[in-house]
Amino acid sequence: MKRATSTALALLLATPALAATDKAAVLDTYADIALAGYEDSLTTAKALQEAVAALIASPSEETLAAARSAWLAARNPYQQTEVFRFGNPIVDDWEGKVNAWPLDEGLIDYVDGSYMESDENEYAALNIIANPQVTLAGQAVDATEITPELIADTLNEADGIETNVARGYHAIEFLLWGQDLNGTGPGAGDRPYTDYASGDACTGGNCDRRADYLKAATDLLVSDLEEMVAAWGAEGDARETVTADENAGITAILTGMGSLSYGEQAGERMRLGLMLNDPEEEHDCFSDNTHNSHYYDGKGIQNVYLGSYTRIDGSAVEGPSLSALVAETDPALDAEMTAKLDTTMEKLGAIKTAAEGGFAYDQMLAPGDEKGEELVMGGVDALIDQTRTIERIVSALDLGGIDFEGSDSLDNPGSVFQ
Amino acid sequence: MRYALLLCASLAASHAAAGVEDALTHDILPGFAGFTAASTALAEAAGADCTAPALRAPWNAAFDAWTRIGDVRLGPSETGALSVVFWPDARGFTPKTLSRMISGEEPAGRDLEAFAHVSIAARGLFALEQMLYDDAFAGYESGSYGCALVQTMTADLAAQAGALESGWRDGFAQVILSAGEAGNATYLSPEEALRAVYTQVLSSLEFTADTRLGRPLGTFERPRPTRAEAWRSGRSLRNVLLDAAAAKDLAVALADWEMPATEAAMDRLEQVAARVTDPAFQDVEDPAARLRVEIVQQHVRALHDAIEQELGLPLGLTPGFNSQDGD
Repeated sequence: MKRATSTALALLLATPALAATDKAAVLDTYADIALAGYEDSLTTAKALQEAVAALIASPSEETLAAARSAWLAARNPYQQTEVFRFGNPIVDDWEGKVNAWPLDEGLIDYVDGSYMESDENEYAALNIIANPQVTLAGQAVDATEITPELIADTLNEADGIETNVARGYHAIEFLLWGQDLNGTGPGAGDRPYTDYASGDACTGGNCDRRADYLKAATDLLVSDLEEMVAAWGAEGDARETVTADENAGITAILTGMGSLSYGEQAGERMRLGLMLNDPEEEHDCFSDNTHNSHYYDGKGIQNVYLGSYTRIDGSAVEGPSLSALVAETDPALDAEMTAKLDTTMEKLGAIKTAAEGGFAYDQMLAPGDEKGEELVMGGVDALIDQTRTIERIVSALDLGGIDFEGSDSLDNPGSVFQ
Repeated sequence: MRYALLLCASLAASHAAAGVEDALTHDILPGFAGFTAASTALAEAAGADCTAPALRAPWNAAFDAWTRIGDVRLGPSETGALSVVFWPDARGFTPKTLSRMISGEEPAGRDLEAFAHVSIAARGLFALEQMLYDDAFAGYESGSYGCALVQTMTADLAAQAGALESGWRDGFAQVILSAGEAGNATYLSPEEALRAVYTQVLSSLEFTADTRLGRPLGTFERPRPTRAEAWRSGRSLRNVLLDAAAAKDLAVALADWEMPATEAAMDRLEQVAARVTDPAFQDVEDPAARLRVEIVQQHVRALHDAIEQELGLPLGLTPGFNSQDGD
């Protein structure tokens, strides 16, 4: 009996030494996927930059359509990087520059008369494109020249209000599509190309300033993505931080997967919008691209677990995976995770297929639309279900848990104001 | 290290079922029953006299009852709580939706069944707060559309409360109690159910510190008084204390040992809260008043840490993901 116990213990203690997948290699794969994802985002953002230049140089139905296509193409690789956000403070601190949402678009350009100012944001209808001189939080602002600096330093999050989103994908999306005034009916935003025309052909007023804004916002997006590519490069901050401590790094991967699945995607982006029945509460609300946005968010979660990302050129970035690491500890748990990620992709795929078939995401949010509710809640439930398995993995991998030593208020009650 | 972890795991295993059952039978289920009773009383009061002054007391009683279980976002509450308390409302959906319904006299405002499908921005305790306290809405008269709308809203709240109560009592309670048994796909072990309830305790206190207190505090240069929770009705501080007390009671129910540091932290929280000058936090632009609210926030965090130390650590529990993890 005694011998049996000590043998079992010896086996238990020996297990880590026998492990074929080491955590450092899993973290390298993770960082490599991040780098490739941000590189692909940068490549497609540069293509968008060119398409925007062509639209501004010669506005037409064709150049506007090409710019919209370039924006849509740029979203797919970017959405797959959202899983890096939670768990990597370097990414989370930066993310607001490129993907902040929801936005009070009236800050940027003209909006429909039915657009209401919000209680919380007195600048929700500021319309910087029409107004070269404005006052923001008591300060006179000279917006005669619309530059990347003006957008980044003065307009974005003006007055500390998060919905004053002046930069990033969604600001550009608004400038390419305009407001979607179809409510929960069919159709996306329908900005005419003449919003960028010169002279008498100009619609919406201030076409030159609108073009300046679009160019500046696109240039900013490119430089912001360059920053993140560098952060995940060979000696980048984000890579060094996540690979510095193996257990903390694996925890960061799982935190990113769980927080994006549950609080962010299932909660904030999908269920809340459904329960508010508000078409503005869809993530890519101007372009009606939300089905892809949700789908590629889910795909990004699956990528980091399976340790494999398919690049925009079709090539694969892959290596030792978290999946293999989990399988060594508990094969059944790995099978459970893999199956649940598949289920989520199936449910998000059903939303994508329905949207591509003409049933747009904003139509799914209509009050009492049972088909839409079923589709959206199918995705929500699958995301919540996979979160439970992510929690199981956190427990199973024995990653050290919470650092209780960091609690000042307990160790030293005098540090808390009395 | 490994021995210590095994000991923790076995302590959690032996304790998990008992603590969770205690929390369920002494806290959660009675809490939902209390919310049904209070919201039914509110609906009955609205049937007798729909005007705002008549309904403020029963509305407050319903809100008090809600705080006992409002932050437990599991099972039927996972989605169900969102239509009881839609807040924060950064884009002003509640006043927009109410204005639209009232100006258009939308039929759903008079139809309980249809009302269950309207935007959550127009349902629940916070939409009612605007109808009862905001000058833009509260002047409605008996017999008006606003009166009918409030009657529908209170009846809807009572119906939601009843559905949540029975969803817990007749359904999800069994899921929690049968954690680890064959056929339970939600909780594969008693520890998973324990961790789920424990996560609610910590998430509630984090939400209170970061959002209920953090939103109105804003930054030192730019405080945001009207971002306080329930500021129109002056319940902001009351909610902080009731929600913290409910989280503390749930933690104590989960433990079957004494939690002196936790109890002491709750007492200190109540002491510092008593020094807050405006219970609606509308004076946070005054630096001295602001500091008193910041101190309350510090003590909510201290209570959170005490619970981690006295409950989470002995049980070897780390919290799971919570629904507020998004931005």
